[in-house]
This record gives sequence, C-alpha cells and structure tokens, in this order.
Amino acid sequence: MNSPSLKKAKEIKLPSHVLDLTLGKDNQIYAACLDGGIYEVSAKLKLLGEAYKEIARHDNYASGVNWSAARNTLISGSYDGDLKWIDPAEKKETKTVKAHNFWSWQSRLSPGGSLLATTTGQYLCGGYKYEPAPETEPSVKVFDIETGELRHSFPHTPPVQSVAFSNNGKLLAAGNLTGEVILWDLSQNGKEIARIKTPDFTGWGIIKGHYYTGGVFALHFAPDDQSLYLAGMGSTTDPAAGNGKQLWQKFTWKDGVKKEAAAADSEIGEGLMETLAFHPGGKFFIMAGRIFKGDWNAALFDHESGSKLHHQNVGFRISASTFTPDGKTLYLAGGANQGRPSEEKKWGRIVIYEVIS
Amino acid sequence: MPKPDPSQNCGSPDHNIHRRKFLQGLSAGTISSMSFAGLFGAPAFAQIAKKKQKHCILLWLCGGPSQFETWDPKPGTTTGGPFKSISTKVPGTHFSELMPKCASIADKLAVIRSMKTTAKEHTEGINLLQRGHAPRPPFTRPTLGSVLAQQLGQLESKIPNFILLDPCPEGNEFKGFKAGNWAGWLGAEYSPVRVGGEFKIPDAHRLDSITEDDHEAREALRKFFSKKYENDRRSAAAGSWNATFERVNGLMSCAHLFDLERIPRADRDRYGSGAFGQHALLARTLVEEGAPFVMVANGMPWDSHVFNHEIYQMVVPDLDNIIFQLTKDLEDRGMLEDTLVIAMGEFGRSPWINQARGRDHFPDAWSLAMTGGGVQGGALVGATDKYGAEVTDNPFNEENLFATIFSALGIDPHAEFNIPGFPTFHHVENKADPIKQILS
Repeated sequence: MNSPSLKKAKEIKLPSHVLDLTLGKDNQIYAACLDGGIYEVSAKLKLLGEAYKEIARHDNYASGVNWSAARNTLISGSYDGDLKWIDPAEKKETKTVKAHNFWSWQSRLSPGGSLLATTTGQYLCGGYKYEPAPETEPSVKVFDIETGELRHSFPHTPPVQSVAFSNNGKLLAAGNLTGEVILWDLSQNGKEIARIKTPDFTGWGIIKGHYYTGGVFALHFAPDDQSLYLAGMGSTTDPAAGNGKQLWQKFTWKDGVKKEAAAADSEIGEGLMETLAFHPGGKFFIMAGRIFKGDWNAALFDHESGSKLHHQNVGFRISASTFTPDGKTLYLAGGANQGRPSEEKKWGRIVIYEVIS
Repeated sequence: MPKPDPSQNCGSPDHNIHRRKFLQGLSAGTISSMSFAGLFGAPAFAQIAKKKQKHCILLWLCGGPSQFETWDPKPGTTTGGPFKSISTKVPGTHFSELMPKCASIADKLAVIRSMKTTAKEHTEGINLLQRGHAPRPPFTRPTLGSVLAQQLGQLESKIPNFILLDPCPEGNEFKGFKAGNWAGWLGAEYSPVRVGGEFKIPDAHRLDSITEDDHEAREALRKFFSKKYENDRRSAAAGSWNATFERVNGLMSCAHLFDLERIPRADRDRYGSGAFGQHALLARTLVEEGAPFVMVANGMPWDSHVFNHEIYQMVVPDLDNIIFQLTKDLEDRGMLEDTLVIAMGEFGRSPWINQARGRDHFPDAWSLAMTGGGVQGGALVGATDKYGAEVTDNPFNEENLFATIFSALGIDPHAEFNIPGFPTFHHVENKADPIKQILS
C-alpha cells in the first residue's frame, strides 16, 4: 500500500468548539458544539452569510451528533443529559429523551443505525486518594432509535467517557477514567464478555494534587471486530501538565485480554488524543487530539503494523474525526484558542482534508 | 470508637483556656498569666473561657480555584462552562450547581466576588495571599498563620499555635513555599507544625526507659542552660531553638490529638473520604482543643490547566461538603461565632478554556468565601462582568482581604510590628481598609 497522506482543502469556523461531527445524507456535515448548538455546516464557498445554520439546541454542551440513515434522523447527545431526535430536512427537533442525570460524555450509533449508546457518570470522591465513587445511575445506556425506548443499561465505574459499537453491531465497549473498558455482547442480551484494564491512560497527581485525570477518550473496533483500539493520553504524575503520551493501544480478548500493539514511543509526542476513526478501506486509522510536545496532533497509523504513516500539525485541538464513505475525504473538528471572550469570536473549527492514497 | 470527651485537652490544666486572651478580656493589666493557672482547673470555667478564644481555619485551595465553578457562576455565557448556577438561601445570590450544600447555608457565608490582585504565577501568588503583601527584600513578612499564631496563640501552649495540615507532600510551587520561611521576622516559634498524610508526629512518646521524673529533670536542665545561652549571647537563633524544644515538649502531650483514627467514624464519613475532608475534620477537632490557627491544604489540586471541568466535577462537591460540615459542626458546638473559616487560593481561573480543556491563572477577577466569627452571614460583595473577565464593582486586593481577616478576629489591622532594627511594618500596610460590607 502506498502511504496515505492528507492535503488540506478547507477550514470552516463555527461559534464554539466542536465536540462531535457526523456526515448525513449526501455527506452533509453536522456539528455538535460547546455552546449547545447542533449545526448544519456547508462546505461550499459562501460569499455572504455564515457557513453554518443552527438546527437544534441543548441546554449545555452538545457532546454528540449521530446520523441514522435507516431512520433518516439525527440524534444528538449533551451534557444536559438529553438525547434529541432532529429532522434535518425540517431542521427541527422531533423527540427528546432524558438519558442521564449527568452529562452524556459520548454517544455512538450502531452500524445499522437502529441503536444509540450513550455514556455518563460524574467523578466524585470515593476514597482517601480520590478514587472514583460508585455510579449512582447506570453509566452506559442503549436506546432504540425508532421508539426512543431504553433497550439496555450497563453498570460501570464513572465517569465513562467513551463508547463504541463493533462493526457487526453485536458488541458494545465502554471505557472510563481509570482505564477500564468493558465489552458486552448485545446478541446475548448484554452479557459481559471481557474487561480490559490498563493503567496507561490514567494519571494520578503525585506531583501536584491528589486526584485522577485522563482515561480512555476514544474507542474503535478493528475492521474484523477481533480487537479494540483505545485512545487517550498516557499517564502523567502532574494533573495540570497535560504532558502524557499521544497514546493508542490495541487489545484482544478472545483468549484472555491481551495488549496486542501500541503506538511506538519514537513516533508520538505528548498531548491528549480525543478521537480515533478508521478509514473505510480498513487499512489505516487516524488518531487526533491536542499537541503538547512533538510535531503532530493528527496522524495516520497502519492497522497491521501500527506504524505511523503520515502526520499533521493541524494547528488546533481536535475532538472529532470522520471519513467520507468513499474514503476520499477526512473531516477533523475541534477548536482554536477561545481567548478573551466576546460575542463575535468564532473559535470552533472544521478542517477538510483530501485523503491521498 | 467512643466519642471523645469535648473537654478533652492536652492533659495540662494550663491548656484548658488561652490565658492571654482571657486575661485581656478581664484586665488590661500586665499581670502574669502564670499566677492564674489554678483558676482554670475547673473544667466548666475553662470551657466558658475557651469560647472567648478566637480561632481561624484556612482552607487553602492552592493552585487557584475557579470562581466560575464555585462562587461566581456565569451560566449560559461562552465562558461559563458546563455547570449551571443554583439559587441559594439568600435571595438573588447564586452559586455553581456543584455547591448545593453551601447554597443551603448561604445565609452563613460571606462571599467576595471582586478580588483583583496582580500575581499571575503560583510562587508569587502564594506569597501574596499568604503574607498579604508583595515582597520587600531583604525583609520577610510573616504569613497570615504566623501573625495569627502570635496574636491569638500563646507561647506556653502545648498545642501548636500554627498547625499546617497538608496530606499531599508535593505540590510544585507550593512545595517550594512549604520549605521556605513562613514566620519571617516573627521568628521560628511562629512557624507551622506540619502534620497530615505521610507527615506524622514522630518520636512524640516518652521512652519507657525514662521515668516521668527523670524526663522532667532533664527538661529543666536543658531549659536552664539553653535560656542562659540565649540570654548571655542575645541569640535569636538560640531563642528559636528553645521555642522549638518547647513545641516538641508540647507535642509529646498533644500527639494523640493529631490521630485521625481517634475521631468517630460517623464524623469521618460526613466529611467525605478524601484526604482534604479528613484533614478539615481534624482541623475542627484541633480548634476545639484550643488551636488558634489551622491551615488545611492538599497540594495544588485547584490548578486546572488541563481537564478543568473533569476535575472540578469532583473537587468542588468535596469542598462544598467540607465547608458545610465545618460550618454546621462549629455552629452546633457554639464555636462558629469565635471561629473564622476562610476558603481561598492564590488567584482564580481564566474565563476562557484553553486547548487542554483547562482554565489558566487569573488574578484579574476572582472569588473567595468566609464563614463564622466576625463576618456577616449572607453578605455578597463585589461583582464581575457578564463573562467574569473584569471586576465591575468594589475591587479588593490582598491588603483589603488581610485587613478584613484581622478585623474579623479582633486584631487591629494597622497595628505596628515591634521589631527592633527593622523599618516600621504593620499588620496591613498602606492603611488598607477592611471590606466593611462583610464584617459583622
């Protein structure tokens, strides 16, 4: 395979940091932003007016936006704990479901577009060293897109920051602050099938203050569903430094949980990685986030070898990524420095890359 | 575990009350307090006198706590973050939703939302908010705790006059500060005794091989020669060493008071299981035993350059509960009117979110809170703009703050330090006014 590379095509500004994005019908871009807005975003050149239009609004950070082609609807998640069903054609909300009493950290749609998983959980002091307290509500929930009904709820140790469906839609994985990832088999009524525990994504403040930071921020099943990728930031002893490794690790579980691969130290810098997405061809994936030290905050890695194939310093923190179904375009979303506040400042960003392979 | 006897003390009748303050209340004369020692043997009388003693507990939120997630929320703005505001017991006053317990006792809290200071970095900020004044080399101004130890405590007390409870041994810049000179020109006897976490009081028990009589005889001999040396040579260093020996001697009779395990489990559960809560509870029990000043820290956990919201969702509820429990306990024990509790750090945090999901240092507009003796419950002073970026009403600096603390504790904020050979220094320089709106 020729090493893939990225060529920047366009950058779009939004009112605030973009926490998630999805591609709808005809690759229409939708963004979930820190100001609570769900925006329809135009990638076309506009001489007048804004490149975005608000189509729904949450009472808190909008943390997720998902497109169900099967149901022709968008479903958004938020720190207000709500899920909203949005008709993109009418640009209006059609249903709201209270999913959690705390934030929806992340929400993901099943491959068939019939189920939506969302995670929650507040980090509260549960011990002398500030170990997380047990959950007060189920930390992982799965809703039926058609009816809005709760189909599954799973216990976990909060906060649970990431969730992913397997490519065949049968498995669900969710990862938390302390680096614990639980896998459930939805085809067996939600039976727990594995529990991955890694200390590598979590920091506890030895140097500065005593509490836990970090955790697993992104999960993605490998194309064959035989392994699971975890992404985040490597452990750090200074919670205020943000200087852990730009880290991904790959685990298998069939014959007992085993770490199969990880980002090579020589190929990574430092900073929190918030997103990991596979190219539709299944040969490589992108991991992206923030740069603290090094020369990139978005890089393509080979699925087989784990080697870094290409990297970019995008110039701003990235929270979400997605490829078009044909694999020719990559969207990265996040935000620039917020800076001194004003009504006018637009610090959200979506950057569009041509994928050359 | 049995509940401790509230009249429990260090074991010496001298400790039943704080004699200097008691005498100040009875007489303006200079009569030696030692001659009154016998008066205080009766526990009931001692208990009444003890209540006249002023105390201060400083919850030191080192690192710089965010005003947005505590006392000055800005919900619905681009800087407000994901936490909403909630109404409090005081109509019109709102706190962060992370502080429901404090909201329920807002009528007992005094909140300042308009602190405006200049120090942007930790070392500078810690010094400024611990000492109340910018550095003036080569003179080292004593910290708040050292001044209060001098003003509220008594030298002959066996329980330390300045106790620092800090279970986190590290803390970056705070670690450096901890290793420095706390007492400044007041001298080592006003430095803190540090306890907490890994810092136990070592070797605080008399060896079995030494009898009580022998121990006292040795101590008398040491004291005689040391005092003679100090007097003959006019040695400040020797004086400090003598003060340290006195303190160690006192600690031997007070060591048990620092044992968290002696505190009933129900109380420990109420304060939360984290190290900060446990040591805040210990502070309460030490104040009950007569300690005039206890500072509770826990490293620098409030320095949220990274993951501000992810960290504050935990540390703020912890603080909320600690302030609530302390206030309630002190009130239940009839001690709230004589005990000032302060919750503050060295600055606040920036309105804007940085690339690491954090908030940065921000001295331009920040908040703190107090409760207890000398302050007016329910008071809210100062204001900031829509984004929390500027003080719009009643800016106050560290000098105003220190003048307020001294005034609340009945100490003249503008009194001079009497230090031979030094320039004239005052408790608070520049005749800075206290924040009258929060004084009771």
